[in-house]
Amino acid sequence: MSRLKSVLAYTAAVLALLIALATFTGMDSFGRKLVSVTGIKVSPWMIGGEVVSVIEHEGYQTVIHRPVFDGLFSERKKGMLQIDWTPQQGLPARVDELIDFDRDGKDDFHIVLNPESNKAGLEAINPRVVSIEGCYTLKDGRAARLSLYHD
Amino acid sequence: MSVFSPRPEMPAPSTARGIVRAVLLTLPMLLLIAMMMTQGELPKDSLTRAVTAITYALLGAVFFLMVYKKETYKYRAALFTIVAVCFSIAFIANLVEMRGSMAVSRADMLAGETPFCHLVIPMVIIPAAFTRTIIFPGSLLEGFANIASMLILWLGASLALGRGWCSWVCFFGGFDEGFSRLRKKALIKKIAPVWTYLPWAVLLTLALISALTLSPFYCEWLCPFKAVTEFEQITSFKILLQTIIFASLFILLVVILPLLTRRRTQCGLFCPFAAFQSLANKINIFDLRIDTEKCKNCRLCVKDCPTFSLDENSVGRGKTLMSCTKCGKCVDICPQRAVTYHIKGTPVAVGSDTARILFLYPAFIFMSAIGGSMIVSALTRIFKLIATGSMIG
Ligand code: SF4
Ligand code: SF4
Repeated sequence: MSRLKSVLAYTAAVLALLIALATFTGMDSFGRKLVSVTGIKVSPWMIGGEVVSVIEHEGYQTVIHRPVFDGLFSERKKGMLQIDWTPQQGLPARVDELIDFDRDGKDDFHIVLNPESNKAGLEAINPRVVSIEGCYTLKDGRAARLSLYHD
Repeated sequence: MSVFSPRPEMPAPSTARGIVRAVLLTLPMLLLIAMMMTQGELPKDSLTRAVTAITYALLGAVFFLMVYKKETYKYRAALFTIVAVCFSIAFIANLVEMRGSMAVSRADMLAGETPFCHLVIPMVIIPAAFTRTIIFPGSLLEGFANIASMLILWLGASLALGRGWCSWVCFFGGFDEGFSRLRKKALIKKIAPVWTYLPWAVLLTLALISALTLSPFYCEWLCPFKAVTEFEQITSFKILLQTIIFASLFILLVVILPLLTRRRTQCGLFCPFAAFQSLANKINIFDLRIDTEKCKNCRLCVKDCPTFSLDENSVGRGKTLMSCTKCGKCVDICPQRAVTYHIKGTPVAVGSDTARILFLYPAFIFMSAIGGSMIVSALTRIFKLIATGSMIG
């Protein structure tokens, strides 16, 4: 019995070497498999929710992300909405827009952004819209995050 | 026999047999390192070729010495420190080249381009289980240190080495290990054992806060290693405060306390990943054992273990604590040669050298595959600096 145990133990020890080799040789394919099997994504709190609509303007676009209310177990009462304006080059000196983020045909807020100073002003129309959390520089444009209440 | 009499069963490394044995055991490792470093293709430019050759020689020499001298700790610790320093040089030079500074901007974070690091793993697990999202602004599959490849690296190393990760794989651990070895004697010798529970408390608190806030709290507020990698651009009072905190923690836990105690205080007393990774020792096949018949209870190992992984009770039971990083120090310093690497399920002190070699192979593969590329990259930058006056470009 103890001999069998030793044989199994030494086999497992040799297996550790194979695991080490497989980790490096198969890193990319194991990584892709891990992502597809688990279906994991990067949290929308980090990179913004999925893009739900794009408004084309002359020279630039307004990109509206999905409002994010995701919590650990259930949706949160307060969430975040990210809006991007891109590309940087095409942005006017003053972005002035009425946005219907929930796509119900009614404008939800009026936002004014100065891309140069990266400062924005907000006028809420829909009472769910609370305030501007911050304005950020993107690789090729500007973004603003707004805090929102859930329906 | 006094406990300080010469170590029994000292190997006789100077014999021709010892050299032949070490060469034979080193050859397969040399082959594996060559495969890992070149991936079947020699670097194209002459500088990288030369630097790769230097790195290859260094790695080969370290492994040979470990086998030939039958000592693990001092060679491992030296290489581990070199890897950490090289990692930092290469990482920072890369960032400066790509972004112009060490500071990570909001643009990089919103674009999901922050390199993922293993320290955040204990904080992402609960949210990943419940929301199937990773609460880190990195890329899943693209680019350097993407989330998927770092998770695979961690899974592989956890299976193969357990918490050996913290002495053989982690590219940060070499910092506090390096500082802990700078002084010959410790100025602070007694550290209350209760402090060794701190990493568990930190782990629990941070895992809960991160899960509830769905943000990587440790990375944002506490990680001392941001001082030697990247940190958020200071654009608000909150980020300034975060910067002061991580810089102070680096100075205290990674520099000053290791210097004063000769222990790895960040890894042994604070790091939440360390506590988390200790659990991996439970599934790993390798551990360290103390032959209680040979042990004279001098407690040298208890006093010297860099990560506080031995206490009197554990020595009495012939085992290390769960937090053992398999660094090999207790094996090398025990005057009785009572401590050995061991394969679970085999008799203690039988075939201990085989157990050590079987552990060294996967451990060194991880160390050289991760560290090798970092040394090559850092040496290339250093040679560039000497030749052109700049590391960048
Ligand atoms: S195992 Fe530790 S306490 Fe026992 S003789 Fe070796 S160094 Fe001393
Ligand atoms: S118990 Fe021994 S091998 Fe484990 S961490 Fe301490 S000194 Fe290193």
